[in-house]
Amino acid sequence: MVRLRAVGEHGREDKNTSKTFCINDNIDVLIEILKRLDDKSIGVAACVCRLWCALTRNDALWEHLCFRQLSPPPEGVRTVVAALGGYRRLYTVCVKPVLTRLRKMKSGGEMWTRHEVELSLSLFCVDYYERLFLAGGGGGGGRIAGDAPPSSLMFLCKAVNV
Amino acid sequence: MKREHMSHDNFSSSGSCSSSTKPQMWTCDADDELFAVLGYSVKPSDMADVAQKIEHLEQVMCSVEKDGLSQLASDTTHYNPSDLSSWLESMISGLNTTPDFDSGVNSSAQMVVDSDFGSDLTAIPGKAVYPNPREKPPSPAKKLKLSAPETESSESIVMVDSQENGIRLVHSLMACAEAVQKENFKLAEALVKNIGFLAVSQAGAMRKVATYFAEALARRIYRLYPTNQDSAFTDLLQMHFYETCPYLKFAHFTANQAILESFAGRDRVHVVDFSMKQGMQWPPLLQALALRPGGPPRFRLTAVGPPSTDNTDQLQEIGRKLGQLAESINVEFEYRGLVANSLADLNAALLDRREGETVAVNSIFDLHPLLARPGAIEAVLRVVTEVKPAIFTVVEQEANHNGSVFSDRFTEALHYYSTLFDSLESCGGGSDEDRVMSEIYLGRQICNVVACDGADRVERHETLAQWRRRLGAAGFEAVHIGSNAHKQVSMLLELFGGGDGYRVEEKHGCLMLGWHTRPLFATSAWRLAS
Repeated sequence: MVRLRAVGEHGREDKNTSKTFCINDNIDVLIEILKRLDDKSIGVAACVCRLWCALTRNDALWEHLCFRQLSPPPEGVRTVVAALGGYRRLYTVCVKPVLTRLRKMKSGGEMWTRHEVELSLSLFCVDYYERLFLAGGGGGGGRIAGDAPPSSLMFLCKAVNV
Repeated sequence: MKREHMSHDNFSSSGSCSSSTKPQMWTCDADDELFAVLGYSVKPSDMADVAQKIEHLEQVMCSVEKDGLSQLASDTTHYNPSDLSSWLESMISGLNTTPDFDSGVNSSAQMVVDSDFGSDLTAIPGKAVYPNPREKPPSPAKKLKLSAPETESSESIVMVDSQENGIRLVHSLMACAEAVQKENFKLAEALVKNIGFLAVSQAGAMRKVATYFAEALARRIYRLYPTNQDSAFTDLLQMHFYETCPYLKFAHFTANQAILESFAGRDRVHVVDFSMKQGMQWPPLLQALALRPGGPPRFRLTAVGPPSTDNTDQLQEIGRKLGQLAESINVEFEYRGLVANSLADLNAALLDRREGETVAVNSIFDLHPLLARPGAIEAVLRVVTEVKPAIFTVVEQEANHNGSVFSDRFTEALHYYSTLFDSLESCGGGSDEDRVMSEIYLGRQICNVVACDGADRVERHETLAQWRRRLGAAGFEAVHIGSNAHKQVSMLLELFGGGDGYRVEEKHGCLMLGWHTRPLFATSAWRLAS
């Protein structure tokens, strides 16, 4: 985990030396740095200040995280993923469990395979559809247990007994 | 065990009575039937003695616990549990060294007999305790480890969990099926009661399976046939089944992959779905089509479903939601819902085949109910050929539950559902409510296979080989389901974490999903033979 420290603007009383570097003034640099973090670090970074929190919610960051290891990111995925709930949700709901669980089984290989991507996207779509069902409410169609969260993907959250 | 009245019909397989016409069983010196069922050889004449000794033992153990002489209350070993009388003697003589033996009634532990033994027996008033070995004894000839019953619990411990009982249970189930087959209903009735007791002594999947089969057998014997299944409730149960285990997901993903591959390069596609239910199959297909190179095609979906029992238009609702999904991912979507009581009522004109469209027909567990009515399956297959599909995906249970001989059907079903329940126990998906509902879902199928007949028996599963023959005769040839589907499904199963339990097999181009060595579901794809 990478540790970052935001340098406060009012650290020193030296008003002459305006060379004090403040990362919050250089958002593009900040974004570049955040892009290279792993998910836990992004979470921690989100707790630093409001600006950082807003930046970490930017979907582009999560897109980068999802498809970092896939050399050409798949085309057209962005619109679809955006429509289905965004990359941040894709990561938390599908990508992370898929990667961690499948990595455990395989010995090496950092690259996503095409199949893993497809599977994650399929499961993500199922998740979206289930949420649609709940949003539709109790009247007509849908499941009776309206207040339970969609559990079709619960198997991804449960601890795997290997 | 006090016996108020012993029906002369109740003779057990282990009894040595010559005929069943004697009104009082205890005049002939056979082993007590219920103890015999559990593996203990106790003569009725000894019964009062045994009961007294058990009470005695219970009191001694209670008082021993209180005194903190815990080593006596913990693991004791003895030999030959089938001889209950002498075992108790040895126990009591071993414990008799304690001076403060309290022969008074110990009212702190009020025992309640846990299971219902039926009308023939009432529990001995007071405390009746059955030995409760905590671990499974390997065989009766070896040592039986007995740990102390929990004295602070007020329920009686009745379970005698031994492998012997498991085997006995399976044999009783088969014997009962044979009896029903031969229409020997009196014997069948007695056996069903036995099975009830034995089932209670088991644990986990075996217990549930045995209970469902026993209930189904009882229904068949007493002719209490289950009423018509409410399709909305069955759909709900199937949703829970979808969430708990990967079988339905396997079905959907493999069928979708086959359909996706057959739609390659086409820009107008039409899917006819016989198994709409909640429409869970189509979102991933829509998403895959949206992301395919070259962009999504124009997608038309015709869903066939049964009439809904409440006033809502279930099919339209689902169509609307799918439309919403399709719209958000920019896939042109057209939907039509067809309500039909049975698939055999369809005709090709209703399906509205249009020029230039590539058609796919999908059926998940919807072909086997057609076998209940003569001519229905042929009619439906004819309709499918008239639509001229590029691909016809069929997912069915891989089992032969449609044989003409009842006992064969029964045996097949017993093995099949035991495996299925086993896998449910081990796989982790879904909540407890989901799992219970899935079990009910399967239980209803069991009931239908065993208890019903004629047009009511709709769970007429057949094996892939049988379907291959039928579909071949109707003019279809098999399409190989590619390796992409296989890889995707293997990954999906890894995610499910049933350990190494799930197995995907490929057989003549069709994919089968099973638990350990037993295949349970098969996906196959077909096209019109040229």
